[in-house]
Amino acid sequence: MRVAILAASMPQQQAVMARRSFFAGYDTGKYYDEMFSSASVARPHYEDVFAALDRYTLAEFEERRRLADLSFLLQGITFTVYSDGRGTERLFPFDLIPRIIPRREWDVLEAGLSQRVMALNLFLQDVYGPQRILRDRTIPRSLVFSCQHFQRQMSGVQVPKGIYTHISGIDLVRDSKTGDFVVLEDNVRTPSGISYVLENRLVMTRTFPKVFETLEILPIDHYPLELIQILRSIAARPAGDPTVVLLSPGIHNSAYFEHSFLAQQMGIELVEGRDLVVDNNICYMKTIRGLTRVDVIYRRIDDDFLDPLVFREDSVLGVPGLMNAYRAGNVALANAVGNGVADDKAIYAYVPDFIRYYLGQDPILRNVETYLCSRPDHLSYVLDHLPELVVKAVGESGGYGMLMGPMSTSDKIEEFRRKLKADPRNYIAQPVIGLSRVPSFDVRTNAVAGRHVDLRPYCLFNGEKVVIVPGGLTRVALEPGSMVVNSSQGGGSKDTWVLRGEQ
Amino acid sequence: MLSRIADSLFWISRYMERAEDTARILDVNYHMLLEQSQSTIRLRWEPIVHMTGEQEEFFKLYQTANTQTVFEFLAFDDRNPNSILQCIFHARENARTIRDRISREMWQDINSLYHNVSHFRAEEELAVGPHRFCDTIRFGCHRFHGVSDDTLPHDEGWHFLQLGRALERADMTARIVDVEYHNLVDRVAPGEKADTHQWMAVLKSVAAYEIYRRQYHSRIDPERVAEMLILHPQHPRSIRFNVQTVQQALRAISGTGVGAYANEAERLTGKLMTSLAYDRIEDVFARGLHSFLTEMQKTLRQIGHYVARTYFYYATVA
Repeated sequence: MRVAILAASMPQQQAVMARRSFFAGYDTGKYYDEMFSSASVARPHYEDVFAALDRYTLAEFEERRRLADLSFLLQGITFTVYSDGRGTERLFPFDLIPRIIPRREWDVLEAGLSQRVMALNLFLQDVYGPQRILRDRTIPRSLVFSCQHFQRQMSGVQVPKGIYTHISGIDLVRDSKTGDFVVLEDNVRTPSGISYVLENRLVMTRTFPKVFETLEILPIDHYPLELIQILRSIAARPAGDPTVVLLSPGIHNSAYFEHSFLAQQMGIELVEGRDLVVDNNICYMKTIRGLTRVDVIYRRIDDDFLDPLVFREDSVLGVPGLMNAYRAGNVALANAVGNGVADDKAIYAYVPDFIRYYLGQDPILRNVETYLCSRPDHLSYVLDHLPELVVKAVGESGGYGMLMGPMSTSDKIEEFRRKLKADPRNYIAQPVIGLSRVPSFDVRTNAVAGRHVDLRPYCLFNGEKVVIVPGGLTRVALEPGSMVVNSSQGGGSKDTWVLRGEQ
Repeated sequence: MLSRIADSLFWISRYMERAEDTARILDVNYHMLLEQSQSTIRLRWEPIVHMTGEQEEFFKLYQTANTQTVFEFLAFDDRNPNSILQCIFHARENARTIRDRISREMWQDINSLYHNVSHFRAEEELAVGPHRFCDTIRFGCHRFHGVSDDTLPHDEGWHFLQLGRALERADMTARIVDVEYHNLVDRVAPGEKADTHQWMAVLKSVAAYEIYRRQYHSRIDPERVAEMLILHPQHPRSIRFNVQTVQQALRAISGTGVGAYANEAERLTGKLMTSLAYDRIEDVFARGLHSFLTEMQKTLRQIGHYVARTYFYYATVA
């Protein structure tokens, strides 16, 4: 009997071998690993996922991955590259191994993010209002006024309910050295990515339904409801049913999917500049029955393109006269115009000071140590240590205008040296942070390996409190060794879980 | 509803219909020609290029009209703005710009059709014959209308879809009858009889062969074919049927009752409908079929123009 059983179980034996290989040989490396505390020991909050994933063979996992990709493609959750005339569609790569944040850690992040968003909003109120912080010299006047995204037109404008930062995406990373989360940058203009958070979750529940049955993962799908409530609350006409629209640059924008997704989820009209018209400082949209008044615009186009009469006159994406309608208080915009002064990478260095100055509190979340090249002492340090530092242009986002010292060529370093000397205000430098890693599936080697991640939670501010859907977007640098997670630079994403209950 | 959205809905269904009609014409004629002599092949394909109205572009790109060149041009060629692939591409781009306003099912359906047909390669399909490709298009378009009917509220947006499809289909049928009649009747020497197989192909290309057989029980008579394709009150591809659909859609959108009109598009449609409802095929022939159909196509174009003027062009602020 015994022999017979053994013989019959031979194929199973092989399956066990293949099964073991899922995490076999996984190297946690010298970085903080979000899943494993040592080579084979999963952290407590990852135990269930580890057990669930370990039941899959690589082939089974690959099959699920393929189906998930297909589902993204058929739903058109893609970026479009228009170089070939017809438009080639690329998936925003999605990695099926989730990123899990322990509940107690999330509670701290939530408090820290709320505090930060409140301070940023207060700073914007102040800087476009009484400018107390400048008179008190907590931040150099010259640094604020030299910011390319400081909009003079906004001085003295009363924005509805005093809200500037309706939606913020704050980028966090976990520093492998300390094991703590730190703030890498603030995005308070038109942060994107929330649609991937919501769609990733949907695909995950379809791909691993059993895992969701056993774990209690905090839901996130109330985001569109929270957002539409805020948008409706800032309507210029208080009574009645306000008309809220989402203003998109159109189908050629890489975030177009997100625009249409959010419009659909919130049940509002997705408009382009050409659908809107301003007459006598009132904004209307053009419908088959004539003009309909618009009360609130969730705009997903940059300040520079909003209104060709005020900003770039070559903009065909915007609406002539929109700024006057906004300043007259007849139409509300989210986010407010001029927010770029708050997420400038040099201003960033002062955000902990904003928290102390406006809220009288100690910052819960740390900044990354930052050298302002506008300061001569910092500049000379930076020039002496370029190969060790990350250099960033202050007004850029999306991983553009950046130097990763340790991974760069000497030519590139020299190029940045020239740039820094020519325009020091435009640059900051930071030490390289060893970003934490999460096991990720490498489609080229068909194996699981550690890949660096960041985290962008989306914070909604209603004028009184900050609402954050648990988790956010985990971006992952899919290239081996890479620390650049931006989608434009080969990054992908992961579903991000915060588990209910004490962890 | 935003003007731009109405505009896109109208064009999605117009492009889908154009793709389907072109696929039908290609498929049916290809199979008919398999049983014909070599000499008829060129004579047959040339009028088909004329039918699509792209003859100028075609002869810039190709020397002669044969199975290979016509199939490539009408199905795949990006240089033909109305090739089947271009139509599907444009329909899907339009859908993409308003995907928040159509149902998720509609979007996924048209998106998967697009991805599906993007994988077809001209050389490969020529080798196996156009049937596989044309069938994919035909059923893709049928499914699209089915999914739309079942998942989209039948509100004004849905009526713009109906409007686009019916206007395109009426126009396409008018072209088919015009070109075929000229080709198969006018060009045939007296005494020679028109080829039954070719008339069968005409009927099949508009899905009318079986209905014809049931209705007329006779051999295929060109005049009866014309009657059926122009005046039949129930056949979903006859001109009359589609003009009626246009009229219903326009009235539903504007809320106008029978016997009145709210805009120029409605007035022209009503006038056309009266002629189609009360003229007999003898009256049509007495006026001259060709001039009747030319006039018809002109009116259909004008209706399209006034629909755009009324609903899509943006109101200017005084």
